[in-house]
Amino acid sequence: MPPSLPQFSAARARSYIFRLPLFTRCIILVIVLLWLVSLQSAWDVQQWGALIPKEIGLATMYRTNTFPLVHANFFHAFMNILALTPLLERFEAEFGTLTTLALFLGPLSTIPALLYTFLERLIGFNTTVLGASIWAFTLLAMEAVKTYRTNPHFTIGTTQIPTWITPLVVVLFVSFLIPNTSFLGHCCGLAFGYGWGLGYLKFLAPPEWILRWIEGKLNLLGRLPHYVSVDQKTYGRYGVLPTTAPADPTSSVLLRRNPIILKLPPYLSFLCIVIGVAWLLVLPLDNYSRRTYISENALLPAQVHTYFAGSDQNVFRGYKREVDALGERSNIEVNDKLEEFFKASGLKVARQSYEYKSAGETYAGENIYAILHAPRGDATEAIVLVGGWKNMDGELNRSGVALILTLARYFKRWSLWSKDIIFLVTADSKAGPQAWVDAYHDTHQSDKVDSLPLKSGALQGAVVIDYPFDHRFESIHIVYDGINGQLPNLDLLNTVVSISGHMGIGASLQQMWHHSDSYKDRLQTMLRGMMNQGLGHASGPHSSFIPYHVDAITLQPYGEGWQDEMAMGRVIESTFRSLNNLLEHLHQSFFFYLLMQADRFVSIGTYLPSAMLVAVNFTIMAIFLWVKSGSPIEKSSKVGSTIEGGEKQPLAIVQERNAKALVPAENLAVRERELFLPLAVVAGSQFLGVLPLYIFNHTSQAMLHPIFAAFTSINGFFPLILSALITHYFAPTAHHYTLIKTFSLLILGLFLSSLATLNFSLAFLVGLLSAPLTYVQPLPNHPIIKGILAVILSALSPTTVLVAGCWWWELSVGEVLKEAAFGWDVWGMNTQVVVWCVWWPAWLVGMMLLVGSPMEEKVGVDGDVRKAKMIMS
Amino acid sequence: MRQFHSLLLFLSLFTLSVATSDYHEQLLLTPLHPSLLLASFNFQSNTTVNSFEQQNFRNFPRSLGQILQHANTRELHLRFSLGRWDAESWGARPWGGAREGGTGVELWAWVEAETDEEADGRWLTLTNALSGLFCASLNFIDSTRTTRPVMSFQPSGDHKNSSWDNLHLLHGTLPREVVCTENLTPFLKLLPCKGKAGISSLLDGHKLFDASWQSMSIDVRPVCSAGSNDCQLQITQTIDMVLDIQRSKRPRDNPIPRPVPNEELRCDASKPYHSEDTCFPLDTAAQEEGWTLSQIFGHPLKGACPLATDGIDPVCINVPHARQVFASEGSHEHLDPNGFMRCFQLDPEKELEMILPQQEITEKAPLEQPLLYAERSFIGYGQERGGVQAILTNPSPTKAVDFVYMESLPWFMKLYLHTLKAKINGLDTHKDVIQEMYYRPALDRKRGTQLEVRILIPANSTVVLTYDFEKAILRYTEYPPDANRGFDVAPAVITIGNVSIRTTSLLLPLPTPDFSMPYNVIILTSTVMALSFGFVFNLLVRRFVAVDEADQWDVRAVRLKIAALIKAKLKRFRNAEKAEKRE
Repeated sequence: MPPSLPQFSAARARSYIFRLPLFTRCIILVIVLLWLVSLQSAWDVQQWGALIPKEIGLATMYRTNTFPLVHANFFHAFMNILALTPLLERFEAEFGTLTTLALFLGPLSTIPALLYTFLERLIGFNTTVLGASIWAFTLLAMEAVKTYRTNPHFTIGTTQIPTWITPLVVVLFVSFLIPNTSFLGHCCGLAFGYGWGLGYLKFLAPPEWILRWIEGKLNLLGRLPHYVSVDQKTYGRYGVLPTTAPADPTSSVLLRRNPIILKLPPYLSFLCIVIGVAWLLVLPLDNYSRRTYISENALLPAQVHTYFAGSDQNVFRGYKREVDALGERSNIEVNDKLEEFFKASGLKVARQSYEYKSAGETYAGENIYAILHAPRGDATEAIVLVGGWKNMDGELNRSGVALILTLARYFKRWSLWSKDIIFLVTADSKAGPQAWVDAYHDTHQSDKVDSLPLKSGALQGAVVIDYPFDHRFESIHIVYDGINGQLPNLDLLNTVVSISGHMGIGASLQQMWHHSDSYKDRLQTMLRGMMNQGLGHASGPHSSFIPYHVDAITLQPYGEGWQDEMAMGRVIESTFRSLNNLLEHLHQSFFFYLLMQADRFVSIGTYLPSAMLVAVNFTIMAIFLWVKSGSPIEKSSKVGSTIEGGEKQPLAIVQERNAKALVPAENLAVRERELFLPLAVVAGSQFLGVLPLYIFNHTSQAMLHPIFAAFTSINGFFPLILSALITHYFAPTAHHYTLIKTFSLLILGLFLSSLATLNFSLAFLVGLLSAPLTYVQPLPNHPIIKGILAVILSALSPTTVLVAGCWWWELSVGEVLKEAAFGWDVWGMNTQVVVWCVWWPAWLVGMMLLVGSPMEEKVGVDGDVRKAKMIMS
Repeated sequence: MRQFHSLLLFLSLFTLSVATSDYHEQLLLTPLHPSLLLASFNFQSNTTVNSFEQQNFRNFPRSLGQILQHANTRELHLRFSLGRWDAESWGARPWGGAREGGTGVELWAWVEAETDEEADGRWLTLTNALSGLFCASLNFIDSTRTTRPVMSFQPSGDHKNSSWDNLHLLHGTLPREVVCTENLTPFLKLLPCKGKAGISSLLDGHKLFDASWQSMSIDVRPVCSAGSNDCQLQITQTIDMVLDIQRSKRPRDNPIPRPVPNEELRCDASKPYHSEDTCFPLDTAAQEEGWTLSQIFGHPLKGACPLATDGIDPVCINVPHARQVFASEGSHEHLDPNGFMRCFQLDPEKELEMILPQQEITEKAPLEQPLLYAERSFIGYGQERGGVQAILTNPSPTKAVDFVYMESLPWFMKLYLHTLKAKINGLDTHKDVIQEMYYRPALDRKRGTQLEVRILIPANSTVVLTYDFEKAILRYTEYPPDANRGFDVAPAVITIGNVSIRTTSLLLPLPTPDFSMPYNVIILTSTVMALSFGFVFNLLVRRFVAVDEADQWDVRAVRLKIAALIKAKLKRFRNAEKAEKRE
């Protein structure tokens, strides 16, 4: 017998109409009323209430709620009421009046409306929509999903059609048959409906306890006719649970197979990245960053009167003439003269020569230093005043060295020093300070770098003067980045900022010569700081001190102003007086911070989550892929026959403590993971990273650029070759690729999260640049998409990023590589290790995954996996 | 400086021969380069052992004498030192280093006791008593800071053979102790003239502790003349200080070294750029600074101490004869004809002022070369382990030097003895260098490491002695309040026969917990506990009644209460009467 249509009976129709619940009635009433209102011509209701994508703004947000209630004409309104009423009635009966009210006045109309607006704007159209049909289709989609759970297919002939596509068919029908209907609008409604039906949007529903509370308080059930209470709902609030859902959610075994949970991780990891980046971007705001403060009370910055002035300026001029005269003399001649000057001031002088070799170049020189013994001290502690004879840019530090000589003579007169003061003039600003600090702690290579003939106590701090010009200056630029992103104690920096502030001298950071205290400037300062920290290079002579836990900064006067050299000297004097006050090693304040301005910072507790979230995204994906790789192969070929054919699924008993549950045995099956190939591939690519690390650190300068060019070009198609080789010899399946990705991401996530605690910026930058690796997978059937993605991924390869960075900062690649090799050989910089042994292997594996072509895997009757030849397309 | 030694020899001979005279004092001034002045004060008094045992103290300080008797101490050496002796510029140390200690406080004594335990007990008594006497933290010399040196220290007094077996040498240091005026005052009180007259009147806390280097010492030792039983107990107190002449000359009310006015600036006019506003400072090393006694010490010498009666000139100065020295009236100058010494005899009634004008002079009193230069420093970095490096240089071109190097390290500095290496002129040939070694390993929280090494350095060589150590992690209560400063490690003691040298002390940074965190936790927890305790206590103790039930304490209420009380008594009384009647 063919399925008959329900017989129409007037009595049933009447009772149905009388039983319509409250909210349904209200909606019908409102629709009718609005239609009636629209009959008049004074107020254009349609224009007022319709959803016009281009008109949507904050003030016109109401349109997202009103558009379903307004209709174009009577026919439109009537048809929609006819379609909506039964669906809405079912919904209200299921969820209760209050929920329906909340949903239909809230997310159910706004979300599809916003989706529609967004899509329209994206395409560039501006089609006005109105009418309740969007609700009708949303509800229809919900119903369809519900039907699909109980009755997945209907059969027409031999074809089995999934029931959930019916609303789509209806949408198509409507858009073809009825003119002036918005296909897109209906689709938006459908999308929401499906989302709701599949349970992704249930969180939008208000919690039950609130509803109960409201009901109880207002006694709605007693007061309102046709009200559907929360307790009268036909089904559970979450609809019919899917049959495959676990019976006992406490069991982790079952939770692992929860389809919702299995679908969540990619979104979660994406969310991590988004939040991580957003987190960083809000840091410069007032609410997230703090003003700096002096934490160590002993420092008492700017509390002493400074006396470095008067006739000492004449002495300074004298010394500067001497320094100018020495200008281009050889290092030894310069030191002979400096030794004479220091000795005349009554200090003990010693010299140290060094020679480093890096990238085929020799960096040799001789440092000279003088020790002012603390008058009553016992050589247990010392502070260092450093000036490179040449500064980082290779300019003669003429005022700086003259200032050091004058200050040495001036400090000698004071009897209040509790710590020895070491005046160090290094031959250059890169290798010299490193050689000296290494030798001071006896960690130098004794054949290349001389030991120090004269020593003092534990170094408590170091201040570097970099003052290469001889005109007056405006402000002081403070450089604080150490090697490998280590930073000096914030108190030292605060001390100098506070002292210079008291003297009317401004302080700036990160070459932000003009800081307007705006969000943009703060962000820029912070990002520049992060860039310096991430690169991990020495930004001044002070950088070499920081790895030895000696807090150090470089002071660079800049600009044209009215501050003279003596003002700079007074800043140094006051800073030394503060450091001299220290009873303990600087430890009170922060060692991990990001500065956005000379007096504003964020500490590690506030900024760390940002890099951690980015790093965690890889770990989440790795865990997810691992779990996924263990799940049985999806039986996509066996189209639903298991359930329909009455064939019983094998069941298994799961026990967890006292709870037992009967679940399909399929859920418990764990697939045998084939680990050898994935592990070998990941380990192999990690080891390959040693190759560029070695090459770029042990090549002479002339060869660096050609070798880099060669490496970049090889790098371009190396993943292709590697992938082809692996495909040829090992014929990996999708399963293998999943596992390769798992291990690669796991290592990346592990490394970056530990790195984030040591060098936040590097971890964040590498994490961000390799974020797309989370989402790559083999796309054998989409050559165009694959090509596009490959290009994007290549643009994010370490080599490309290096080239792009060099182009942006107008540097030569060869110079940068030479500097990096120097950093490796002399400073002990380890940014290269992260780039070549962490980032590059991860990128290589990612690229290989993208171009890989997995073999199809077949499931036998006994469930084991066999490989089959795949027809190459 | 050689003359200086001969003077000392002479002095000691003199003391022995004139045993009856029991007190003398002398101040020796030696200008050092550049513009420094070494002032050595020496006070010595004797008493016979017999009168000492009968508690008949004369010039011997009674307070110290009684402590020594109580603690059975036969020989005592106590040192308070501050600063660093710069051997390269200043030459050999005064008294051959015999009258100085390491930075802080150093104490060693020979205690007579039957057993080690008894000796420890007496040592404890001694340190505690001296702690009170000298206002120093000597009582902190506990077992972890006490060592029993084997090779380094020899008794300087004459001890009877019978008691020799029962003498125990104990040695303790406090490198962290800051020597200050509070230690000087009790020191001066031990002197017969107590800082009122004689050279001790020059001793002023402000000047003494402004010195670049200073050392106070007290030595008590028995001295017996050869072949007789006539023994004497000798107490020698010395104060040595190196004063910066320029700094001392600054007026006390304006000690700030402001830049001199432009016209007083001494410039090198030969420079081509020399002008009104450009000045290359002139090296003034060739000129002898002019100074007076009252500029250096704040006031002139207030006459001779009348108790010093043995005719030794109380003030001597070690300058070339060409140097002009003007002394005030009433003093008699004695010139040492073949040396650089010049001594002054004082009038007890008159103040002595000595003036040395500024003078260009090429001749300088020669400096005595030290036998050994020693420098010790930490090597390595980090919180886990480190190393110590001692650079020992024998400057003599002809003579080898044989000495004992002694380290007493705190227990939390765990020495790895196998890493002890001696490099001679950069070569690893330590077999010849290290001749003998005595090592006593540390016990956690009980005793420190003691290491004594006999080293022979050939002529004109440098030995670099290195060893590694591991840093222990302390319990958090064991850290001092300024934990992040680091821990002081006592100076090493180098003994070359009678001469001794001490290195500077070291500052050892140990892994330190973040103390602010536990304090925050403690504060927070205490607050929460106090609040919850208060709440619970309140609930437990307080009785809750409704307002109308509560007792009202006004006059009426009191009256009613009393009335009720009386009624109740009456009622009971009546009941009792009734009961009696019933019976």
